[in-house]
Amino acid sequence: MLMNRRDALFGLSLTIAAGSGGYAWAQPALGWTPTALTAAQAQILDVVAELVYPKTDTPGAREAGVPQMVDKALKGWCDPMQAGFIKSGLDKLDTDAKAAHGAGFVALTAAQQGAMLIRYDQEATAARPQPHPFGALKDLMTIGYFTSKPGATVTLRYDPVPGDFKGCVPMKEIGRAWAT
Amino acid sequence: MANLNTRWRKENTYDAIVVGSGIAGGWAAKELTEKGLKVLVLERGGPMPHITGYKTATLDPWETRYPLGRLPDAEMKAKYPAQQRTGYALTEYTQHLFVRDDENPYEEKQRFDWIRGYHVGGRSLMWARQSYRHSPQDFEANAKEGIGVDWPIRYADLAPWYDYVERFAGVSGRKEGLPQLPDGVFQPPMEFNCVEEVLKKGVEARYPERRVTIGRTANLTAPTEEQLALGRGKCQHRNRCIQGCPFGAYFSSNSATLVAAERTGNLKIRPNSIVTTILHDPKKNRADGVRILDAESGQEEEFYADVLFLCASALGSTWIMMNSTSSRFENGFGNGSDQLGRNIMDHHLGVGAQAEAPGFEEHYYSGRRPNGVYIPRFRNLGDAATKKDYLRGFGFQGGAGRPSWTRAIGAPGLGADRKAELTQPGPWIARLGGFGEILPYADNRVTLNKDKKDKYGLPTLTFDASIKENEQKMRKDMIATAMEMMEAAGFKNVQPVDGDYAIGLGIHEMGTARMGRDPKTSVLNAHNQVHECKNVYVTDGAAMTSASCVNPSLTYMALTARAADHAVNAKKRGEL
Repeated sequence: MLMNRRDALFGLSLTIAAGSGGYAWAQPALGWTPTALTAAQAQILDVVAELVYPKTDTPGAREAGVPQMVDKALKGWCDPMQAGFIKSGLDKLDTDAKAAHGAGFVALTAAQQGAMLIRYDQEATAARPQPHPFGALKDLMTIGYFTSKPGATVTLRYDPVPGDFKGCVPMKEIGRAWAT
Repeated sequence: MANLNTRWRKENTYDAIVVGSGIAGGWAAKELTEKGLKVLVLERGGPMPHITGYKTATLDPWETRYPLGRLPDAEMKAKYPAQQRTGYALTEYTQHLFVRDDENPYEEKQRFDWIRGYHVGGRSLMWARQSYRHSPQDFEANAKEGIGVDWPIRYADLAPWYDYVERFAGVSGRKEGLPQLPDGVFQPPMEFNCVEEVLKKGVEARYPERRVTIGRTANLTAPTEEQLALGRGKCQHRNRCIQGCPFGAYFSSNSATLVAAERTGNLKIRPNSIVTTILHDPKKNRADGVRILDAESGQEEEFYADVLFLCASALGSTWIMMNSTSSRFENGFGNGSDQLGRNIMDHHLGVGAQAEAPGFEEHYYSGRRPNGVYIPRFRNLGDAATKKDYLRGFGFQGGAGRPSWTRAIGAPGLGADRKAELTQPGPWIARLGGFGEILPYADNRVTLNKDKKDKYGLPTLTFDASIKENEQKMRKDMIATAMEMMEAAGFKNVQPVDGDYAIGLGIHEMGTARMGRDPKTSVLNAHNQVHECKNVYVTDGAAMTSASCVNPSLTYMALTARAADHAVNAKKRGEL
């Protein structure tokens, strides 16, 4: 329940811009063992992922297993330089959080966390086409989220065997974007 | 060896040997077995049983090992430096279909993209299924323009065979009545989407000589009794054809021709059989059979037959002929003309236009159509109005769609609102990409490289080919015309697409053992027989005298069926 409430607050904070008050909650145990990340990095990733794709009327990144997918990609898919780049981005979130608020990233309020991510996202946008650690991380989370079973089948629509093709259908009859 | 030869003569003799099991080889196997010949198909790659061999056919996005099924960069670079050049085709979903370049190397004096699949079924499991006939003009252009050599056949020679292969393979499409793109035997066409309808109306209103039609694709939309009896079914619009179709809905050797061939009881397929040499009997001047290298055991073995069909892909068949030297053929099998390995053609692509199509946000589509729109050639049709400062022409393939969540990659935004946005499809985007004809140039060639060996210790190929001024001029026109058609449709933010291209990237390599009327200037005759050794037929892309601008597989099918008919009749007459 607490998670739901925090997520709702975060959604609001994005809409009305960051800065409203919030509360920090103790982080639950991860429930999975990172292979590429340190425990601290994994905790940060867990929070970041849920802030980027929060639980709303559809599942959030945590429920979709996005943090695990990112960790797995960093271990066996990204080349070592790219993986190091993304990991350094997670570390920097913590360093920046301590410098600005005197506490590590996971201990900040949802509003503070959201504000930091919005700033990072703006930095990543400004940096393009140069890579930015948060941009690279967010892309991995995006792929992880929308190719997950909840992301593809609940948040979006997924039909492995459509049968027919209909070229021009009122959007309201379909409702959501196709996952593939 | 003498003992072995005796045993092989007894055990390894067939009426016909077909080398390769892709589009052409499958057709040769079907036609020859159905006409009563005992046929051995030799396939250099491993087995690929229909349906059970398609191990990624139903793989869902969340089941991949890697994000989007994309292989790690390090693995791509190490194993697939050339195969990865398509940029899209080689993934975890398709990895089992592509050759490893490190094990099957080649040299490039100029960049050459040789995209291959070694397994039973070959690239008939990997093709884009677009199926168009060459036009009367395509068969006449070389002679009229003094380019290369004249085709030894005309459209009328092939037309009944196009009918024949379309009826069996199953091609969906719309009749358009255009001389530059002859109609065929079609199953019902697939639908346009809303924005493609707009494209059609806009283009045809502004440019009466241009036509926007639905792609003609070898996916069944209304299977015939014959197709159903083979175990094939209607297209389910998964658009996962390359992962293997559990419904047998698209045409492949595995779903169609090899099934028909097997049912005759006259077929034997031997996978893992790399044909290295055509055995030539100088006394009779005929091919006696072939020597293979077993890819698994490393042992050589010989097989014998009265008729030999080379269907190993243009460059595969060319390699076999180059590697088959003898006192009679010091310069390669049937290569008295010195044309073997020359005149490499492909279709040049990677240029066109892209635009946004606002106004249809309230509409979407359902199902994944494994097909797009097609705009047949409209340049150099023989009249003054369509004449350009280059020869030949191009067609466009493309379509419209709404990007889904992938538009978030590299884009700003996060949180609940962004997530809600991404549950809806993005703006409509229309794209057109040209497929242009490449002329046959004698110095666009491939040669045998005995210094560089593959993992079996066999010689490799060296490529030295490029597009030239005619193609470069055409590419500019492809971009300009794609953009003006987008404008004519009323689309916004029209952008040119000007991608790079090297020969091979079209994966339509052809022309390296061309058909012609004169043995001095061509390798094959009007029936795809090697001029200098009549019981050897080459019916894959190697045979092509010119490239047209349309996808070539349907023509390989028709040429193969026609050549098989010829071979059976010639054999009956005792001519082979």
